[in-house]
Amino acid sequence: MAEVVFEKVRKTFGSTVAVNDLDLTIDEGEFVSLLGPSGCGKTTTLRMLAGLEEPSGGTIRIGDRVVNSVPPAKRDIAMVFQSYALYPHMTVGKNIAYPLKKRGIREPERSERVMATARLLELETLLDRKPAQLSGGQQQRVALGRAMVREPQVFLLDEPLSNLDARLRAHMRAELIELHRRIGRTMIYVTHDQLEAMTMSTRIAVMNAGVLQQFATPADIFHRPANVFVAGFIGSPAMSLVEGELVGSGGGDGERRFRVHCGALDVALPAGLLNRSAAPGPISLGIRPEDILLGSGHHTAAVGVVERTGHESIVRLDAQGTPLIVRTPGDTPIESGETVRFSLRVERLHIFDSTTGLRLNADTKDS
Amino acid sequence: MNASRARMIWSVVTWTIVLAVVFPLIWMIVTSVKPQSELFSIPPTLMPETITFEHYRRLLTDTPFLQYFRNSMILAVTTTVVVVVLGTLGAYSLVRFKYRGRETLATLVLFTYLMPSVVLVIPLYLMMAKLGLANTLASLVIAYTTFALPYALWLLRSFMSSIPVDLESAALVDGAGRMGAFVDVVLPQALPGIVSTALFTFILCWNEYLFALVLVNSDSVRPLTAGTMNMLITSFNIDWSLLMAASVMMSLPLIVIFTFLQGTLTKGFGAGAVKG
Amino acid sequence: MHSDPPPSLEKRYARIGVVLIAPTVLVFCAVILYPLISAIYLSLFSIYTPTLAGEWVGVDNYTALLASGDFWNAALNTLIWTVGTLMLQLVFGVAMALLLNQSIVFQSLARSLVLFPYFLSTVVAVLVWRWLFNDLYGILNHVLLIAGLIDAPVNWLGQMPNAMISIILVGAWKYFPFVVIVVLARLQSIPEQLYEAATIDGAGPFQRFTDITLPQLRDVLVVVVLLRAIWDFKEFDLIYLMTGGGPVRATQTLSLLVYEEAFRLNRMGMASTYAVAMMLVLLGFTLVYLRQTNRLEEG
Repeated sequence: MAEVVFEKVRKTFGSTVAVNDLDLTIDEGEFVSLLGPSGCGKTTTLRMLAGLEEPSGGTIRIGDRVVNSVPPAKRDIAMVFQSYALYPHMTVGKNIAYPLKKRGIREPERSERVMATARLLELETLLDRKPAQLSGGQQQRVALGRAMVREPQVFLLDEPLSNLDARLRAHMRAELIELHRRIGRTMIYVTHDQLEAMTMSTRIAVMNAGVLQQFATPADIFHRPANVFVAGFIGSPAMSLVEGELVGSGGGDGERRFRVHCGALDVALPAGLLNRSAAPGPISLGIRPEDILLGSGHHTAAVGVVERTGHESIVRLDAQGTPLIVRTPGDTPIESGETVRFSLRVERLHIFDSTTGLRLNADTKDS
Repeated sequence: MNASRARMIWSVVTWTIVLAVVFPLIWMIVTSVKPQSELFSIPPTLMPETITFEHYRRLLTDTPFLQYFRNSMILAVTTTVVVVVLGTLGAYSLVRFKYRGRETLATLVLFTYLMPSVVLVIPLYLMMAKLGLANTLASLVIAYTTFALPYALWLLRSFMSSIPVDLESAALVDGAGRMGAFVDVVLPQALPGIVSTALFTFILCWNEYLFALVLVNSDSVRPLTAGTMNMLITSFNIDWSLLMAASVMMSLPLIVIFTFLQGTLTKGFGAGAVKG
Repeated sequence: MHSDPPPSLEKRYARIGVVLIAPTVLVFCAVILYPLISAIYLSLFSIYTPTLAGEWVGVDNYTALLASGDFWNAALNTLIWTVGTLMLQLVFGVAMALLLNQSIVFQSLARSLVLFPYFLSTVVAVLVWRWLFNDLYGILNHVLLIAGLIDAPVNWLGQMPNAMISIILVGAWKYFPFVVIVVLARLQSIPEQLYEAATIDGAGPFQRFTDITLPQLRDVLVVVVLLRAIWDFKEFDLIYLMTGGGPVRATQTLSLLVYEEAFRLNRMGMASTYAVAMMLVLLGFTLVYLRQTNRLEEG
């Protein structure tokens, strides 16, 4: 069982708390992304799992073994570093062979396994070159090969694509997804790029300031973000967030009904949108760019900058002082400076408690 | 002023100064191949009218020079090996490990290479006498290690801290222990720095004078520096030809090292000097 | 049945680290601790060097030191020597580094050659310069006579103020390459783009020097000055071999005084007293150096 469990894991550096009471259970064979902005603790978490940092508190388990004090060499993990960390003085072949050498695997088995891995990653012709002679993409594949050749229980990847140009990154994303499908081992992936996380993961752990914000499937994270942070972090362009107030609106039919007054927006919420603990008070209203429909409706706004990407346009609106971002198909006739009418998909609105940041919608899952 | 004219002017100015700086050394070589008669001619001749290797022959056959040379070689090589081994391990420890007192140690390193050798020589002299090592090459090796090690540590620390930590982390994850990572990854990467440090240490030992003067008093153990000065003092007339020949021969290892490895040697200085 | 939890990784690594540095620490105990304590201890005795027989004198050595004309003479000489040679090392070193940073023919050869004096043995340097300075046959006097700058051979090493000037010059010649190496390395690390941007903004060559080069050099120069000051202050070999401290203590610095007391006058206790005085001065320098480098690292 290559399940990875973090139980109340803490890491402090002096007086800074890098990781705060992390509880996370990753099932065998999952592809989990640790996602968050710089400094959120994701890399520290990965390094603690690798054994390159020691937790200040809590337990880390791989399988059924507590690994807090186990040296990295004995954890049956492999890691791909952001800088690739290829050994500059060794050839590609020797780089890939190194983990096997350390495990005491001798010739000819060693060369066979190196060759097999090299073939898998299309590196056969490069085996005698030194890392400095390779391109970024090739170096990355060598780093992957070195990790794979040992067939470890868990793969750790620390922002492996961040040094590649955009096109190569897209290509490698697909390759990694395919790789995971093929070898089926647990992969834990650190990134600040939500696109990578969303497209590659079975589940995403969103972190901020050392605290786990939400651990859920990409779909859940996108459609049912647990709090304001996750909502604002995921989605590009970002969700529009407007401060305001939640008020009860009388309804004689026994159902609780609410309205929100947020900036210039005054909207009645559908029945059952909010969960049972929702009560009038200060809230943030979240609207995804694709949930604003232009052209008709009883809201109006002035059109600001319009970014046309061809297949869609990203439009910034100013609704009487309330800024909003809208995503609309590319052929929508819209120009800067115009006034436009718009409507909201009220069943897709997100409501967050201003004090706790938690989402108040009824379909919010527990992390 | 266009680029090639500027280049010419800078070249002339620079090379004039360089030649002036190097002139004493050229003069040393010239003097060493001049016959005695020409040596004391007034006015002195710039280029030798006849070239003779008589003085070199005399140096090697009539004086203990070869013995001094052998002593210096043994001394410098032994000390370099000891210093490089201790220094490499020590520098690695200072740069990649955390333990109590590490910072204090680093500061202490600083203090040591600021000690005047003239202050060190007295207690060392007493210590060697007490240990029964007076007047032996071993006493010089110990003495030289004590002052060469701080310099070596200073240089090696700056080389090692420039090796990316990720490389060692990768080795640890790949299955190496800390020392395995050191041997497999750090040492190969630090090799140019280690070579630089070894060369620098060798030169330091080769050139040292005071300890050789105080700790040793017989020709069989004397290294080149003290030996050559001894030849100067003990002779009645100062035999300049002989001394210049000795100077040239004494500088041979330096010239050899310099010709082939100048770049490596000074790389550490530039980087390490500022960090201290 | 629970067994003790294994020692944490960090603790195990720390242990390895300590083992690696242990031999070095041993050596350092021999180098710092032992001489320091020795010197202070010995300074309280009067010791006859050849037999190492001694007797307690307490602070008598120190009072003798303060009253001794020799001590203050040596202190003054050390000051003159240090300041003199340091200034020359600095000026020549920086000038040479600037020159070597330009585009010139055979640039790497020039850079190598200029370093020779520093790596040369002091013994060799002294022999060569004593030959150059030789009043009758030395080439220096000859050249100056021909150039008409002097009309009689100069006694470079046996007369004052010549002797002090001579050793300052030779010291500058021997040690200025250190300044060259460090400053040149710094100059080469100044990004070309800074100069390009300044040129676009309209700065001329002199302005580029004062506005870009000098500020970048400032940190390095501070460090170089402090290091060379410390090393020049404690210089022994060069001065001892050039003049022996003469004529009549005119070039005797503190290092030479310590040596004379210990091995010529056979007064090891007194020598240790002088040594302690020297170390106190150097300690002052070192603390300044430490504070400067810390400030530079933070700033």
